[in-house]
Amino acid sequence: MSRHFAGIDIGSTMTKVVILGDKIEASYIGPTGPEHRKLANKVMEEALSRANLSFKDLDYIVATGYGRINVPFADKQVTEITCHARGLHYFLPTVQTIIDIGGQDSKGIKIKNGKVSGFVMNDKCAAGTGRFMEVIADALAVPLEKLGELSLTATKPAFISSTCTVFAEHEVTNQLANGESTANLVAGIHDAIAARVFGLLNKLKIEPDVAVTGGGAKNIGLVKAIEARFKCKILVPPEPLITGAMGAALIGKETYENSVKSGETLLRSGKGLREATFFN
Amino acid sequence: MSEEKKAKTPRALATKAAASIGKFVKNNLASSVTARSEGKKVAYAYIADGQDEIMRAMDIVPGWGESFAGVCSARRDAERFLQKAESDNFSRSLCTYATCTLGFDMIREELNGEPVPGASWGGMGRPDVILGSGQLLCDPRFKWPQATQHYLQDVPIFVSNMYYPPFDPKVDHKEQEKFYVKYAKDELYACVRFLEKHLGKKMDWDRLAATVELSDKTWDIFIDAYELRKAVPTPMDTGDAMNTMVPVTFNLGTQEAYDFYKDLYNELKQKIAEGKGVAQNEKYRLLWGAGLPSWFALGDFQYFNDKGAVFPVEITYRGGEKTERLDLPKTNDPLEHIAWRWMRYWTHWYDKARKRPGSLPKVERIIEYIEDYKCDGVVFHSAFSCRSWHAGIITQANVLKKIYSDIPVLIMEGDIVDISSYNEADTHARIDAFIETLETAKKKGRK
Repeated sequence: MSRHFAGIDIGSTMTKVVILGDKIEASYIGPTGPEHRKLANKVMEEALSRANLSFKDLDYIVATGYGRINVPFADKQVTEITCHARGLHYFLPTVQTIIDIGGQDSKGIKIKNGKVSGFVMNDKCAAGTGRFMEVIADALAVPLEKLGELSLTATKPAFISSTCTVFAEHEVTNQLANGESTANLVAGIHDAIAARVFGLLNKLKIEPDVAVTGGGAKNIGLVKAIEARFKCKILVPPEPLITGAMGAALIGKETYENSVKSGETLLRSGKGLREATFFN
Repeated sequence: MSEEKKAKTPRALATKAAASIGKFVKNNLASSVTARSEGKKVAYAYIADGQDEIMRAMDIVPGWGESFAGVCSARRDAERFLQKAESDNFSRSLCTYATCTLGFDMIREELNGEPVPGASWGGMGRPDVILGSGQLLCDPRFKWPQATQHYLQDVPIFVSNMYYPPFDPKVDHKEQEKFYVKYAKDELYACVRFLEKHLGKKMDWDRLAATVELSDKTWDIFIDAYELRKAVPTPMDTGDAMNTMVPVTFNLGTQEAYDFYKDLYNELKQKIAEGKGVAQNEKYRLLWGAGLPSWFALGDFQYFNDKGAVFPVEITYRGGEKTERLDLPKTNDPLEHIAWRWMRYWTHWYDKARKRPGSLPKVERIIEYIEDYKCDGVVFHSAFSCRSWHAGIITQANVLKKIYSDIPVLIMEGDIVDISSYNEADTHARIDAFIETLETAKKKGRK
């Protein structure tokens, strides 16, 4: 009988689920946003439905991400640092340095033999995060998903000096009023984020291969800007949003298999699929 | 099993000694407030300044700004003082010990030197003199006294400095020591002359010699007590040490300080005999590698402890060393003795560092503690407003990993006083990730 494991990554903006059997059976990505915070179970249900499985088919569930503590049906919680490293090592085993650009923070992770050897986090400032790009996309009235392609048409990236998101938005609108092109401004914003992320990662020893994960990895313009700043090829996993959930599922599988091997009883949450408990 | 959200509990102090430290701090602050009515003089002073015994031997009451700012921070009462300083254009990026105290001084001056209503533990008394000192330890302490004088214009200032030889792996610093000791001794004599002139007191040199002798004994018993923390499980961790540092840091040269460490020594002996540790299940032993803590968030030590992580040793505030290890030259001049002791405190890792290619004295000290206290990882705290500690932390971490081992390292970020730099959830997320890294490293080590 084949076994199934789930990883659920509750990020600040998106909730991601991976169902893992002998291979990835299904994955699903849904918004975390305020009205969805209690609905981690819905995302899990959707992923299970895609895998043609039910909740009782899951042999072990690991939660990660900032909301990991509040998933009652998870059997174990593991931080996103560990899960990103495990997940990325599965997809891109040669990577030694990970840049994760999430919705409200960015991180740098060093991997040695598939395990975390060091990490840095930017959680003090929105510059260098997905939120920064959202604010700028709004200011320029450009859909978030179009920023990357638009920036590739830039002739000369604008220089954005402010590292504060609010003031960078102000700077962008001023430059727009002065006739700067939207493409140059977006490219300038990507350069600013790349510089910020480089400063963060430089605290670790940056070693190739380098990969980008998180929502930022979906922005081709940002990836190019990071490549230029880091002066190396930047790898992107097939679905950069699910590396954390994938790592969680892999850790779930490993935990289960270790318990079988050792004969130790595996402790389970025992709680059914029900609403996540952020606020209660 | 799913983690349950835990109710917030106050930080548990492992030792009675640490729990009793409030009385030292309160007495120090109160003494500065009541000094005038008792006919005593107050000197604003700064820690590790080499002038402790001079003040004690002359019956001068120290007013410790760094202590007061720490109290304000711990009691989350610093913001009004920071804002007051900011209103006079002191940047938020300046040392927040300085800006907190400056804000307090500004308010007290507006009250004509009267106590500031509601100030934590009564606040500090108005000083008669200010003894500034950078001591290669802290650059704000050159300018902080001068900035204070903008508001206390009638208060004389003496800003001294003592230096120690810079580390150069190719140079034997012992050839340079006498030059540095002479300079330091001259500075200390100048300090005495300044105090005699402005406070109308004469130094009692015999009393100074006795005070210095008592300080040496205090350094010795302090280290004897702290080295008991090598025991597994450790009977005391850094969460406590951030309290038990008070007597050696702020009360050096007093019998109370010596007695405190004697009591601490006995208490730790007892705990070891009973097998009592800080954590219920000690799994990871950590070194607090550098950095002043966020005084408003000392509960984070409890967070580590709850996860089985303890700090048997720290660099910060380990402000003494066994005097026999410093190999101090014999001298009948108590100020020269202070100068030698002060300099050798900073240079006595130089020889070790010279023997290990690529090493630095600060890293050598870290390595020594990792080995002596059997540590599994190192935690640094980078307090943004404290340049003295902030600068060099990443270099130390990188050198450590390069020349010693790829030991797990966590660099926490925050501040000493400014709570706006702090986010508990994110700090705990970092600690969680670090604990997982420690566990992975331990498993790797076990294979």
